[in-house]
Amino acid sequence: MTIPARAPDPGRVDGWVWPARLRPPKRLAETRAGELVVRHPQADSQASPALVTSLRAAAPDLLSIPVAEMVELLGGATDALVSGLDGDAVGHVAANAGMSTAMAAQILDGMAVSWNGETLRHLVAAEFADPRVLDGFVSGGARAIRAAGPGLTLHLGAGTVPGVTVTSMIRALLVKSAVLAKPGAGDVALTVRFAREVQRIDARVGAAVAVQYWPGGAEDWDSWERDVFRAADQVVVYGSDATIESVRARAPASTRLIEHPHRVGVAVVDPGRAPGAAAEAARAAVLFDQRGCVSTQLVFVLGARRAVRRWCASLASELVALEEVLPPGQAGPSDLSALHQLRGRLRMKGAASAGTGSEKIDLWHGERSRWTVVLASPDAFEPSGSRTVWVVAVPDLKACLRALARLAPVLQTVGLAGIDANRVDFARELCGLGVTRVVPLREVPYPEADWMHDGNRPLGELVRWSELR
Amino acid sequence: MAEPDCVELTRELAALFRAGGERLRDDDEFDRMALRVHAAQRTANPTLRRYWDGVASSEPSSWLEILPVPVSAFRDVPIVSGAAEVVFRTSGTTAGASRRGEHHVASVDLYLAAARGNYRRHLFADCGPGSGAPRLALVSLIPRPDDALDSSLSAMAGFIAREPEVAQTTWAFNPESGVDVHSVVRAVGATTAPILLLTTAFALVQLLDGLGAVRLSLPAGSRIMETGGFKGRVAEVDRATLYRRVGERLGVPQSHVINEYGMTEMLSQAYDGVAGRAGAAVEREHRFPPWVRTRALHPADLSPLPSGEPGLLAHCDLANARSVCHILTEDLGSTTRSGGVRLLGRAPGASLRGCSLTAESFLRLTRVSALSVDGPR
Repeated sequence: MTIPARAPDPGRVDGWVWPARLRPPKRLAETRAGELVVRHPQADSQASPALVTSLRAAAPDLLSIPVAEMVELLGGATDALVSGLDGDAVGHVAANAGMSTAMAAQILDGMAVSWNGETLRHLVAAEFADPRVLDGFVSGGARAIRAAGPGLTLHLGAGTVPGVTVTSMIRALLVKSAVLAKPGAGDVALTVRFAREVQRIDARVGAAVAVQYWPGGAEDWDSWERDVFRAADQVVVYGSDATIESVRARAPASTRLIEHPHRVGVAVVDPGRAPGAAAEAARAAVLFDQRGCVSTQLVFVLGARRAVRRWCASLASELVALEEVLPPGQAGPSDLSALHQLRGRLRMKGAASAGTGSEKIDLWHGERSRWTVVLASPDAFEPSGSRTVWVVAVPDLKACLRALARLAPVLQTVGLAGIDANRVDFARELCGLGVTRVVPLREVPYPEADWMHDGNRPLGELVRWSELR
Repeated sequence: MAEPDCVELTRELAALFRAGGERLRDDDEFDRMALRVHAAQRTANPTLRRYWDGVASSEPSSWLEILPVPVSAFRDVPIVSGAAEVVFRTSGTTAGASRRGEHHVASVDLYLAAARGNYRRHLFADCGPGSGAPRLALVSLIPRPDDALDSSLSAMAGFIAREPEVAQTTWAFNPESGVDVHSVVRAVGATTAPILLLTTAFALVQLLDGLGAVRLSLPAGSRIMETGGFKGRVAEVDRATLYRRVGERLGVPQSHVINEYGMTEMLSQAYDGVAGRAGAAVEREHRFPPWVRTRALHPADLSPLPSGEPGLLAHCDLANARSVCHILTEDLGSTTRSGGVRLLGRAPGASLRGCSLTAESFLRLTRVSALSVDGPR
């Protein structure tokens, strides 16, 4: 790789889809995202009221669509999306996310399953004992109840994981809330494709969906953001602490916030009882290029350090193999620099700790590889990304829980491999620390559609219940 | 306790630097000295010895074979041979306040020896003893050393303030409130002597913004040493624009505005021109003194790149004899055939992130005492 003196001219992708009844934006701006340039409307104080008014005007039509029909419509849009994802389209999604094409294809395969009609039917049934509550009052005992999404839900997607925004949009449409979606910079291409399919498949739903990318938090978008935070009934925000705090500070109290902050994925492995765990851990770390909230970053392995070292070597072999099958995206000098700095720092920390009697740090990585395995004590852990898997040797599950206590504020998914005895008790202890998802390690990358996302029901967190007595 | 060889080497190097270090321009001579320093560091610092032994099986035969230490390692481990006289800390702007790098400096005299001749050559070339030039009035937008005991830049500003060519000094930076624009205006109004303005790029912007519509004409012969724009926040400052504003608002031409490239973790600095004779900012290259060698390394595998090809910069600075000489930076740049360095700034662009937690957020959220794991090892 050479660093070109001038970056090559990248491809472009439209970062907006507005309802057909609105005039297209007059002036467009461009923002670089991954290897693509996203073309999106310029900040325009006139545009947000028009967009919001248009979406709100479409909301009553959404309410008139029975939920069973909505499931079919959205499943149909997914089918159309998937059938349109040829090599070029996948390449576009990959370039936008800064991922390899193989990785993007794998992610799309995995995520699209959770958007098809059958899965959505299952999701609605899992959340609502009688899904007709989404269509109107349903009598039960002394009262009738109904569940409804609010008029307009604003979605603020996270950086560069393709599919996060589509999932969020589908959830809101299932509860019949109009959608204004701002995808993460690296998730624009897929979100726009999906919105176009929705518009093609049903005019009523299409009129209630808009996508627009803008550089979140930018000074010249502050007024726009305040307007849409005020206009939306609820805001679903994925992002860093800074992003969430910024939205909290500017959204009025009347706008409901549903927050999905960044997380650390953990695995707990008993290698003696799970011979395939190294491969599963490698896959859980590598998928999404370790950018997902579910992505495994830290693995607790039961056993003595010497045995765990051997396990780390097998994990390293699996990561080598995956680098062939699911190559990482093109890395810029900053990513590569960060990798060298991390490895060198850890080597130095290891050299320092060797003289003090505290636990050693061992490293595995290839000459030009992008993955790294770090065997260290739990207090050395810091999320590093870029396919860095931290491994901690623990004698038993109690030691694992003690070490995890420090991570309590950032826990979400824990993948288990070979942890069969006392599994329920262990899960209860994990949940006490803040973990909201305990699953077999092999299932870590792709949560089921009805997963308890950050401790909430994915549709349940969007609706308000009403009763009629 | 430092090994005797280390202490002796420190004295020898300080004398060599004070004499200009010209003989170190010779490759063999530089190699001999670099390997002596390396051997002394190995002996005096077991951590460094283990660091190098962990990856290299044999003794290096040239400084080129010494594994560089990444600059971020200064955040975690005190890297020092002997007792530190002072600990300099990075500003924390690039890695966050919780992860400041620390340079444990065992010989402030060696720092002075490395810095002094170099800044004198670049800032005082036309006003040394016997030149007949008037003495300079120093205005510093870098904090006074007493206000920033752990700042290597403030320490250097303190060295400069003691130079015989400096008639008076105004410290015009308040650690609480930033640039004291009124002090600068008063200092300029109170003298007819040329001003030497020491500043970070950001303080300079703050000064220019603070002046508003006021044009503060510095006396003829005034000069500016600005620094800091190449680390972390470079993107916010366009150097050509900055220098144009300096010309318009302060009346100091580009030929008299010099950029200094330095870092807390290195005791030597590079300058991109001599005050009064500097060329256009966009065409300049930085030059280190003869006791520093720089390479651009391929970002993928750290293999050395030929002149002109940009990569990650690694410097071997013999002034770091009491810490570690060969440092891998996070800066991008290229070397030139004439021995200069072209800086391209920090490795650009934030990494592509999704919804997994960054280390910075993690450290902020989990800053509680860590529990260690007991059991078999």
